[in-house]
Amino acid sequence: MNHSILTMKNIKKTYYPDIIAVRQANFSLNMGEIHALAGENGAGKTTLMKILYGLEKADSGHIYMNQEKVSIQSPNDAMKHHIGMVHQHFMLVEDMTVADNIVLGMEPKHKGLYDYKKACEMTNSLSEKYAMDIDPEAKISDLTVGLKQKVEILKVLARDSKIIILDEPTAVLTPQETKELFHQLKLLKASNHTIIMITHKLREIKEICDRVTIMKSGQTLETYQVKDISIQDISKKMIGYDFEIKPIKSENKLGHNVLEIKNLSYRVQNKYLLKDINLTIKSGQILGVVGVEGNGQNILSKILKGDIVDYEGDIFINDKTIKGASIRDIRAQGLAFIPEDRMVDGVNLKSSILESSMVLKARQKAYQKGPFLNVKKLINFTKSLIDDYQIHCDSYRDSVHALSGGNIQKIVSAREISESEHLLIANQPTRGIDVGAVLSLHEKLKDLQNQGKAILLISSDLKEIYDLTQSVVVFYNGEIVARIDQINHVSEDQLGRYMLGIERQKSREGQ
Amino acid sequence: METFNKVMKKLNINKKTTENFIFQSLKTVLAIVIAYSIAFIVIYFVSDEPSQAIYWFVKGPFSSRMEFGEMIKKSIPLMFTGIAACVILKAKQFNLFTEGAFYVGGLVAALIAIYVKVPIFLAIPLALLGAGLASALIGYIPAKLKASLDVNEFVSSIMINFIVLWIGIWLISNVVIDVSSGDNATQIIPEAFRLKSIFSGTSITSGLIIVLIVIIFIKIFFSRTLLGYEIRMTGDNQAFAKHTGIHVKGRMVIAQTMGIFIAGVGGGVDILSHYTRFNWKTLPGFGFDGFMVAIIAKNKPLMIPFAALFFGYLRLGAELMAFNSDVAKEVVAIIQGIIILLVASERFFSSEFFKSWLERFKNRLKQEKKDVITHE
Repeated sequence: MNHSILTMKNIKKTYYPDIIAVRQANFSLNMGEIHALAGENGAGKTTLMKILYGLEKADSGHIYMNQEKVSIQSPNDAMKHHIGMVHQHFMLVEDMTVADNIVLGMEPKHKGLYDYKKACEMTNSLSEKYAMDIDPEAKISDLTVGLKQKVEILKVLARDSKIIILDEPTAVLTPQETKELFHQLKLLKASNHTIIMITHKLREIKEICDRVTIMKSGQTLETYQVKDISIQDISKKMIGYDFEIKPIKSENKLGHNVLEIKNLSYRVQNKYLLKDINLTIKSGQILGVVGVEGNGQNILSKILKGDIVDYEGDIFINDKTIKGASIRDIRAQGLAFIPEDRMVDGVNLKSSILESSMVLKARQKAYQKGPFLNVKKLINFTKSLIDDYQIHCDSYRDSVHALSGGNIQKIVSAREISESEHLLIANQPTRGIDVGAVLSLHEKLKDLQNQGKAILLISSDLKEIYDLTQSVVVFYNGEIVARIDQINHVSEDQLGRYMLGIERQKSREGQ
Repeated sequence: METFNKVMKKLNINKKTTENFIFQSLKTVLAIVIAYSIAFIVIYFVSDEPSQAIYWFVKGPFSSRMEFGEMIKKSIPLMFTGIAACVILKAKQFNLFTEGAFYVGGLVAALIAIYVKVPIFLAIPLALLGAGLASALIGYIPAKLKASLDVNEFVSSIMINFIVLWIGIWLISNVVIDVSSGDNATQIIPEAFRLKSIFSGTSITSGLIIVLIVIIFIKIFFSRTLLGYEIRMTGDNQAFAKHTGIHVKGRMVIAQTMGIFIAGVGGGVDILSHYTRFNWKTLPGFGFDGFMVAIIAKNKPLMIPFAALFFGYLRLGAELMAFNSDVAKEVVAIIQGIIILLVASERFFSSEFFKSWLERFKNRLKQEKKDVITHE
């Protein structure tokens, strides 16, 4: 049983131009185990597995199977080595039937034509063999998420995979579906399949996995036998870092309520993505929103921006509701917004620095001259941003495309901060940028706070939260599970437990 | 070199953009060279007097003042539909109603000329404005359908092209027909509405001046006005435009309607320049060609006249070749097709492909240099 069938050594992967996804990873898999790959979002788990499945190419490092070096350049190579992957976002053709999807790319033929009957038979025999009950003739678009996942797993099994990678398999499942999935995974394990499960849900690791490898900021830490390690220890290793409590944080007098969220709920088909959110941010306050990704923070930011409008509850900016307002109107009420996806929402990669920076100013009368734009004024404005934020470029005419991720983020934050009249929403403002840029951006945010602006900071970087904020709310499963007024009085260990849903705040702490 | 740099600086052109520009132009030139080589080979095989044919094909448009004028005349409608397509493509829309708009523009301008009595100085502006507005009104339909109901404007605009064509044919066959013409055609367009030749010995009309003014206006519109800027941002990156609060759908509708308006004016100019009656019974084809012109011009307004001239040159050369040599008209059409296909699809030479090739070439040079040095 206990011999290693797969080893990944010294894997490294950098995305263009300077985002390190996997710094240094070693990974070893034993025959017939369920192996958890745990870590926070952005720790590099998915990238590492995509490298194993041939979807990404490693910059350096090697993969060995049964002590032999193998080269996996594409998913086809991976399949030849009996490796299969079930993605977090399903890759199914919605308009085709279950059987169609399962045989896709390896269709059974009869006299040169696609033999649908045979495909159904194959599907039936597979589902019997692995006890996954499913109708081969059902259309994918009619299936529930749990069933779609079964189809994905069957698809992998149909290709004779012995090693199956599951990327966050329970993220989209209800508790009942999760239970069923785990049952099936155990059956697969019994029939000599090896499973890698990417996850950040610690309870599930404890429940079903044999071993766990922990990843943190692109590096694999040690691998543990699950029975030898406690949930608390895993969480500490996943999120933990040394942080010193900084007693002096700019103590501001808080002013009036700038943002007020009342009983905000949002649901898609009876599933609550946000439930009963109540929040206020006063002027001069930075409110931190923490939580493991996908627990409602992004939905909240989309609602505040005006992307999602069919929510329940009310949102007020300076006592004025934003219900039904367009994005432009909401911005006109004094809200600025640093988006999470800076490359898509934040800038226009095809444009110059000038064009990406001037977009909010261009619509203001002060930057127009009769029917025309006051280009001189806009250029001066852009130049001042470049100086102020130390954006590395030759001139404001440079194409945004040629800049590094950190510099692009500086353009976005410079533009938005300069336009935050009352409220700034910053969604993961420092993700993936270098330390120097992070520090200067933090300075800017503090300046903004000192000017009496309100800031909503959504971040999965706890260090950032400890550095910048005093009050924090913790999101889990679309709900606020903890409200903390003095973050310094709460250990990150405790914070981690709230984030992972292990614990729920009973009474208010730090008061 | 120093003065060159100074000039560049004054023109606000930095090194990177110039390099890029030269690189892009080289690609277009290369595509044209390849296309013409293929054309010559075809001509060589089908003709007994290939040198005669090629002479007319290449040199014909420059053989006399009249022919040269003919070339420019042929390119004017393409300038109109080219700049129209350019405006639409800036917002990344594919509203092909420029084709129908050209037809509607011609029809409406002719009808205004025949049936509306106005002072002479107002005659032509009124006819052209009416042509543009009528087209824009119809072109607004597919644009709005896209914005409100997400109906694909590509499909709906093509369908509307045929609807307006058949309405037009019905009108000139039944309603506004002048039986004395011996054709399905309107009455004669009064003299006051005709656009006159501006260069003697040629048939270039003041339509050329109008289209150049439109092109300059569009250039300024995109580089200097808020609306033009917002349309460009919308076309480049919708998510960015939306995030920063640009009304994405509105900008798309405006761009399409503007482009269609220009195409309609183009149709009006064409009918008032070269026809005595309106008698078009097919779609003119200029609208579709306009998109090719815009693509060859890299969607840059100021490049539109040159791209359109190239088309005019190509067409006239082909016509002259058919007239003066033994190359059959059909072969000429094939050659035209090949050239347009190659030039328009120069994206085959994707910059990635080209750059990697250049890079390899550079590396080899470097390597050779190194070798020389080590040998020494």
